[in-house]
Amino acid sequence: MEILKKIAETLYDGDERAMPGLVQEAIDAGCDAQEVLDAMMAGMAIVGDEFSRDELYIPEVLCSCHAMMEGSKILKPLLTDQDSKSLGTVILGSVQGDMHDIGKNLVGMMLEGRGLKVIDIGIDVPAEKFVEAAIEHNADIVACSILLTTTMPETPKVVKAFVDAGIRDKVKIMIGGAPITQDFCDRMGCDMFAKDAGGAAALAVKLCEK
Amino acid sequence: MIIIGEKINGTIPVVKAAIEKRDADFIAERAIKQTEAGADFIDVCASTAPELEIEALKWLIDVVQDATETPLCIDSPNPRVIEAVFKYAKQPGLLNSISGEGDKCEVLLPLLTSNSWEIVGLTCDDHGIPRDVETKVKITEIMVEKAAKYGITPDRIHLDPCLLALATDNESYLNFIKDIKAIRAVYPDIHITSGLSNISFGLPGRAQVNRTFMALAIQAGMDSAVIDPTNKDMMATIFATYALLGHDRNCRSYSKAFRAGIIDPNRKKS
Repeated sequence: MEILKKIAETLYDGDERAMPGLVQEAIDAGCDAQEVLDAMMAGMAIVGDEFSRDELYIPEVLCSCHAMMEGSKILKPLLTDQDSKSLGTVILGSVQGDMHDIGKNLVGMMLEGRGLKVIDIGIDVPAEKFVEAAIEHNADIVACSILLTTTMPETPKVVKAFVDAGIRDKVKIMIGGAPITQDFCDRMGCDMFAKDAGGAAALAVKLCEK
Repeated sequence: MIIIGEKINGTIPVVKAAIEKRDADFIAERAIKQTEAGADFIDVCASTAPELEIEALKWLIDVVQDATETPLCIDSPNPRVIEAVFKYAKQPGLLNSISGEGDKCEVLLPLLTSNSWEIVGLTCDDHGIPRDVETKVKITEIMVEKAAKYGITPDRIHLDPCLLALATDNESYLNFIKDIKAIRAVYPDIHITSGLSNISFGLPGRAQVNRTFMALAIQAGMDSAVIDPTNKDMMATIFATYALLGHDRNCRSYSKAFRAGIIDPNRKKS
């Protein structure tokens, strides 16, 4: 349908002002709310890919995230009754000692944009809090943002906290941030390393679709 | 402009490798190059795992002091690491840094009693980086008042108002100049510094954004910066901006820097 294509393009362009009108137009024309949401998510998937390839930049990704939020506001009341189930639940936070939130917030918006439920537990989060939140929300993934070489040693603490709580096999641990590498992820016994927000979303979607 | 040379930092992969291998020649060369380019302080930041940091930082201090006479800027997020290596510095320099976080002020400020050491102060605290100028001024006042107890005057403090990235905050520069105005209204003699490259985080062509920011920030009153002094384009922007603002009589510093090859990318330094 033409309007759905236009919604995907508008999401990609990050035109937050045009988004609510287009979404309403699609609904009025008889589109299913889920179909409209899928169209927005299709646009978001392209944004994530291009951001990963350095073809789009952070301010442009933020525009798309805002467009997503504006469109979702119209859809939300229409989705509640039927198929608003999320793909999976992600606990997201910056590890203890780390006050950085730009990357974390971007990851959060990307994950939401791809249909995951995100519980953002903020910055400077002690390992136990990740565990508590994972249990409370029955999370599929715990995503830890680590921006400093000095906060990298928090990683094994988070892993250990999940082992100690006896739920290590129930949750996948994803890490990311400037000093993090795949090698570090493997050595620490984490499950996934994401290079950037688009990568984090793609990995999370892949895992939850299984 | 007070230039704090940023090229000896363990977050830079080649420097990280040199620290691990204890490659003194590599570090010494970076220290000499930055001195020649006009650095006022040479920042040393080990950025290793916490248990290795004191030893690595002491080694960096020794290597840099053997190579140049330029004062050090001792840089660690952990005040106890700075406290531990402080005694190895042969002359007063700069400590990087205090903030409203934890007991940083209590650990580091006593080190500055009866000497001419200077210190970087960040306007953040245990709640993170405040968004509003009032809280930043408040944190500054707390730091300056604590410093005064040890006889440290505001002109020995380099205040860093914690610049946010333009990519995620459209008003980051505009807020930065508001911060400078408000802080200088209380403390006219305090230095204003910035790591500055954070401004361009998430944008393409970062070097151009950084240089343009530098020109605007100098006009707004920033007089200290953590940069790479061997970046001739950045240095040219600094010298040209000072000349344009009338702070460089008859453009003498600009001309000298050009002749010395500090700001002319086409000229090889001997």
